[in-house]
Amino acid sequence: MHYIKGVGMTKFGIHAETTQELCYEAIMEALDDANMPLSEIDEIIIAKGDSQNDGERQRLFQGVLSSILQDENIPIIQIVAACCGGGVALWNAINSQAKNCLVVGVEKLTPSPTKYITDDLMMASERIYEQTEGLSFPAQNALIAQQYMMKYKANSDDLALVSLKNHENAFGNPKARFYKKKVTLDMIKNSPVVASPLRLFDCSLSIDGAAAAIVSKEETDIEIIGSSLYTDRLPAFESQDMTSWDGTTLAAKTAYKQAGITPNDVDFVEVHDAFTSVELMAYEDLGFAKKGEGKELIRKGITKINGALPVNTSGGLKAKGHPVSATGVSQIYEIVKQMRGQAEKRQLDKTRIGLAHNVGGVGSTVTVHILKHIGG
Amino acid sequence: MIIRWVSEDGKRKWIYPVKKDIYTKGKIIKQISTKAKVIGITKVNIPSPMHPITPYNVILLEDGYGNRMPKKTMKEYKINDVYEIKPAKTDSAVIIAKIKYDIYEYLKHSLKLLHNYNISSKDKILIKPSIIEPAYSYQAVATNSELLDALITYLRENNVRDIIVAEQAMLGNDTIESAAKSGILDVCKKHEIPFVDLSKSEYVEKTSDNFSFRIAKEVLERKLINMPVMKTNSQIVVSGAMENMLRVVDENTQKKMFEQDIEETLPKLIKILPNFLSIGDATIGMQANGPTLLGEPAFLNMLFLSKDPVALDSVFIEAGIFAKPNYIKEAALMGLGDSDTNNIEIIGDELEAIKYPLKAAEKNATAHTKIKLIDGKANPYIYNTALKMSAKLVGLLGQEINLVIGSLITKDMLQEKTRLVAYGKEAIEKLKPLGIKPVAEIPEEMDDIEKIMLLKSILQNPDKESITVIDKLKSKIASFGTKIKNKF
Repeated sequence: MHYIKGVGMTKFGIHAETTQELCYEAIMEALDDANMPLSEIDEIIIAKGDSQNDGERQRLFQGVLSSILQDENIPIIQIVAACCGGGVALWNAINSQAKNCLVVGVEKLTPSPTKYITDDLMMASERIYEQTEGLSFPAQNALIAQQYMMKYKANSDDLALVSLKNHENAFGNPKARFYKKKVTLDMIKNSPVVASPLRLFDCSLSIDGAAAAIVSKEETDIEIIGSSLYTDRLPAFESQDMTSWDGTTLAAKTAYKQAGITPNDVDFVEVHDAFTSVELMAYEDLGFAKKGEGKELIRKGITKINGALPVNTSGGLKAKGHPVSATGVSQIYEIVKQMRGQAEKRQLDKTRIGLAHNVGGVGSTVTVHILKHIGG
Repeated sequence: MIIRWVSEDGKRKWIYPVKKDIYTKGKIIKQISTKAKVIGITKVNIPSPMHPITPYNVILLEDGYGNRMPKKTMKEYKINDVYEIKPAKTDSAVIIAKIKYDIYEYLKHSLKLLHNYNISSKDKILIKPSIIEPAYSYQAVATNSELLDALITYLRENNVRDIIVAEQAMLGNDTIESAAKSGILDVCKKHEIPFVDLSKSEYVEKTSDNFSFRIAKEVLERKLINMPVMKTNSQIVVSGAMENMLRVVDENTQKKMFEQDIEETLPKLIKILPNFLSIGDATIGMQANGPTLLGEPAFLNMLFLSKDPVALDSVFIEAGIFAKPNYIKEAALMGLGDSDTNNIEIIGDELEAIKYPLKAAEKNATAHTKIKLIDGKANPYIYNTALKMSAKLVGLLGQEINLVIGSLITKDMLQEKTRLVAYGKEAIEKLKPLGIKPVAEIPEEMDDIEKIMLLKSILQNPDKESITVIDKLKSKIASFGTKIKNKF
């Protein structure tokens, strides 16, 4: 049995601090939250990409983290799993022998011009079939979104509603990039097309930030009742059905089984809305809607903060921000804050069971974690 | 073309060329299709370094087997359109193929797309790869041995028995050593094909536009397939289909061609050669300070094929976003081929869709940051040995030297340049009428170690204004000492 003892995160935004300083801040908050000293941490798992565009030119980040933490005795492992780094780090922590394992996710994406970040993120796609054919990350997701829209008669308005919902949620999240920034449906619908049919406001934010969580074998008020990791083929075009990601369906199925629950038991969700279309597909792959009916959840307001199944109360990757490897851990941060009644203006009433869905690539690496508020 | 590697029981498909089914240990069968339906389209508006020109489209293709593949295009497609590459209709057509893990299949498919190009079992083929210095295939200095293997396999499948592979290394390098290191000799051995060192050929004298060439006899007697590595070149911007033909002539002709400006004499050579097919090897390709090992692999994964070497080079130059060099313009003016990419028929991948700025070669770069070349289009021997000398001095601190080479030196090129060292007869003679006295003159016939010792002495003595008798004596002694040491 594993529990979450404490969580911490920096504001997701543009930071002048170095990657290690961002980690330091998130770790400090997580330790304070857990009310425990660093010396009680047995292992650290750090999720961080291998970017050459963070302006830092730093490999062997374990050593850097060790330097800033000033404790040479803690084993540190680095996980590189693109946007799923945080989720994979968490999954590893749960599967480790450590009594207290500190999971950290961090990324700096703002120091380089967009074209280099686009290129950097594209390296998580297949080199010969996809990268050379111009399939940047938005382009990959645009092709999938188009397949989804053609197959299930979804439209750009559905995507816009997902974007609007997540921006409304981020408005109340002080850690979100779009905190107190008003975004309207008009702004979303009139934003420039990045890769048709996806517009700028359909895409998540490449941003800086770090998040930390302490996974413990000691009982706390937050239990991890489901944890699964699935990997699938890298290019989405290889999937039989591009509109459904096997990684998500399998990871969800396993996590629900471990937790002994069904999707109906889940109170709120943080999904990997790297693109608004991914959120719609995730509704279905996670079992909250039948295939093709995900759009109904957003149309009927079910996934809004006051709906029956609130999704991405943090603002999601779309409006909280998406510092790649930090995202998966930041989802846990939001779930814990909600469960402990610390979510301020975006606080939900029902927070007994929360689910986090983290994806690397276009469905090639997926984690699903289910958390339960004991006594909640 | 969409390829899948399928298990013999048909249960599994790979996008990678696996040799066996890891589950059943059974055989793998290739599933190939050249016709597909457009099932998805996105218009991309954000640029990236690999894809700087926007907007572009990416279409998602699906073949009859249900296999899919994305394809970048500048053309507008609609859902359900048929995507099929039709064969060329003109002789100057350039076939562009982005290889998806299978060099052989893409080469075979590309050859079939050429206009009026047939292989007969009676053909006597000469394959002319590019092997300029000892280097491994992955360094993109020499033609990729895997591509050569693919071509010979294809020719053998077409019952061509009489094939030779012929080339000579850049002047100053050993051909056999270069061919061995590149893996090309191994391919020849595998197929039991002779490798001919063109530097030892019998030559035939031919004159073109008042320039006399001594051309290797084999080249004139056989059906020629030219296999250049597509590279950057610090002397002439790009080495491709035209430049690769330089080494079919003897040493003296090569030197003379540079003396009279390679950009003017190279088209004359192409004019006098029989027509040939070029298979531009960009399986790796080179960028930055080519064409030697100073360049960098470009990892292009492409092939460029054409019966028109001018068209092929022009397309590659535009794809890499380089300025068109004079020899291409000259060749086009002479009617040797088409250099206007608006007129050239492009088959396969689109030129606009593959444009990507390769790193250009610096004109003055050597391996030593303090030794710069001022290159008056020196002949390959001088150019090559100048680079080798500077490479030997890497790691030594010193003050900048400008190594002047070649005969096409102008006063402008020397403006504000100090510490000039004239290397080779042409440069030494050229500086005299210009009234410029270099720090030193290094004749090409000087012993190699002596040359290096002299250059070292100039590099390390910033106040040196000229070479003294003592310097020369010291370098002779060092050279003698090294020789004695090597002997024992």
